[in-house]
Amino acid sequence: MRVPGDPAAAVLLCGEIRTCLLQTGRSLPASAARDLLRLRAGERVRVSERPNLHVVSPDLLTGVDCRLPTGTGARIRAVGTVTARAVLTEGRVLQATARFGCPGGGPDTRRPWGSYLVRPGVVEPLGRLPVRAVADGVLADVRRPGELDLGAVAERLLGEVQRHPLLDQRVPFKSRRTRLRWAALRAPDGEGPSLGRFTLAEDGLRTVELRLPEGTDPAACASLCEDLALHDWLLTTLVRLVERSRLGSADGHEAVMALRPAVDHLLHLWMPRARVDTTLAPLWEVLEREPGFTRQWGTLVQRIRDQLALQAIPLLREALTAR
Amino acid sequence: MTDAVFRETAAEHRTQSLPLSHLSLEVGHLYMEDFEAGPERLREHFTLVRPWVDAVRAAAPAGSGKRPRISTCFLVDDYFSRFSTPAELVPMLLAEAERCGLTIDYLARESACAVADGVQLAESVEHRLVESPPPGSDGSRPPVKEIGWLANGERTPGVERLEAMANDLPSWRPPTETAARRHSVFMDVELWDDREQRRTWSCPFLAAVWQLARLGLLRHNGEAVLVPRPAPEGSFPRDWDDLAPLTRLNPAAQPFAAYRTCSVLPSRFLPVEHAVRVILGQVEVDPRALHQVAERSGREGVPVPEAVADRVAHVFYAGG
Repeated sequence: MRVPGDPAAAVLLCGEIRTCLLQTGRSLPASAARDLLRLRAGERVRVSERPNLHVVSPDLLTGVDCRLPTGTGARIRAVGTVTARAVLTEGRVLQATARFGCPGGGPDTRRPWGSYLVRPGVVEPLGRLPVRAVADGVLADVRRPGELDLGAVAERLLGEVQRHPLLDQRVPFKSRRTRLRWAALRAPDGEGPSLGRFTLAEDGLRTVELRLPEGTDPAACASLCEDLALHDWLLTTLVRLVERSRLGSADGHEAVMALRPAVDHLLHLWMPRARVDTTLAPLWEVLEREPGFTRQWGTLVQRIRDQLALQAIPLLREALTAR
Repeated sequence: MTDAVFRETAAEHRTQSLPLSHLSLEVGHLYMEDFEAGPERLREHFTLVRPWVDAVRAAAPAGSGKRPRISTCFLVDDYFSRFSTPAELVPMLLAEAERCGLTIDYLARESACAVADGVQLAESVEHRLVESPPPGSDGSRPPVKEIGWLANGERTPGVERLEAMANDLPSWRPPTETAARRHSVFMDVELWDDREQRRTWSCPFLAAVWQLARLGLLRHNGEAVLVPRPAPEGSFPRDWDDLAPLTRLNPAAQPFAAYRTCSVLPSRFLPVEHAVRVILGQVEVDPRALHQVAERSGREGVPVPEAVADRVAHVFYAGG
């Protein structure tokens, strides 16, 4: 449903997602996940159980009045609200998303605050918006002081959820959090959505540039990017687990023990496009062809299973000879 | 996604829609001391209110030439002090209103703005406060929570900060109103206090909840709150707690909630209502409720002002 305040007229949608392992020994069941993400009294936490457990917190707003990041260094003041939400997948992987949409222009002076509040998630520039420069600024890896800090909003929300008393703060294995930033510009009239760039930087920052048709729901765009960020995190984390296990060189038993958390906590989480809007699903296909996310995941999973099977053979032999 | 084959209702947004009048007209907001002063005080109040009520009715827009749907309401304070019983007070109130030619459609208890039918209304509105950001807010500072105050601008820096800056700044800086027209009218509103482990909401905060309820913009998990109940058959109860949070006194009344509100109040309420405006300007209401009201009012040809605070009007009459 389209609601007022949806930046239907937005010419630029931007966001940042932080993805990490939930700080708890065992993954949370649906009812506990609901309690964890009840960030606001009186508002529903959305719970979906098919095809996997996916829990979404209410949206929280943060008021901003500051400069937008720009690639050119141009100083563009903007006022409005950044919307943030937390998402928990299979009670195990936590994501915090902060995002906003920008219309092409706004009045030259700040309006009464109540007018911004009826457009949640819209940050309005004072004057004209240099779309390309702001998209570049959002995706850049450096941020100048005083510029809108989406990462800080996402990080604060992530921290708030991770400190919840429901969590025992014991993680089953070490992993790093990843950051994914996106900027979606408007696709030329008559053209469908497209994925411009997906960049992996060494420091855990991923950037995605998209083109979306006018009127695309900003929440659908956020869901797509959350899905990309989740699967990128899964892949990154599994690659590191396999690396650390020194599979192929170490003692077989040790490698199996090192890989066990992957079997217990990660392998069942791979489910690309589970909740991506049908109009945006084709964007995933692009990544499946090049670099081939699912292909890489499949290969890793097969390697782990082969190793487990190899380790099982001597055990089987022992069992048979002991008879 | 609604045309999909498979749906999960727990995964969807849901916001119940409400019946809506054109105008919710408040004809009184009285405290126990007003009742204590006897029926004469009520008579005096309604006599002063009556001409303004007529004027507000005459000015109410209905759209497309029809008669506007107007409901009247009256708020009794049972939160800050308690006096007498509904069985004694309500008939007196109704008799005095009728004597002045006024009909009270709905009667609300002020405590219902804090908790109604087990739902913490005030708390859920507090969770929806999004403070107006002073220039320079880039999202990196956490929102100021848990202090129980809300301002329409930037406060004077605290003593510790002033000491830290003592070398290069004068010792005092004035507060500033964020949307000031050159000169500031700064207001800082106390929302609640906690004493003896009990939170007491302030009168302006409850009044802001009251305005949001009258504007049809409050929900609890997407469901309607403060749903009116018919007046009890026979006499009114002997305890305020036994009276419904919101009672429909007039069975033929138009809906309680409305596109706009107007409150006719004595002028001593001016500071409270200014505070209400400061609060309403910083509450993010359920966007789907907002959409329902905007869409229906637009269809009826009486579109509501965009900002919630601008849907609220007051008439202040002289006197205590």
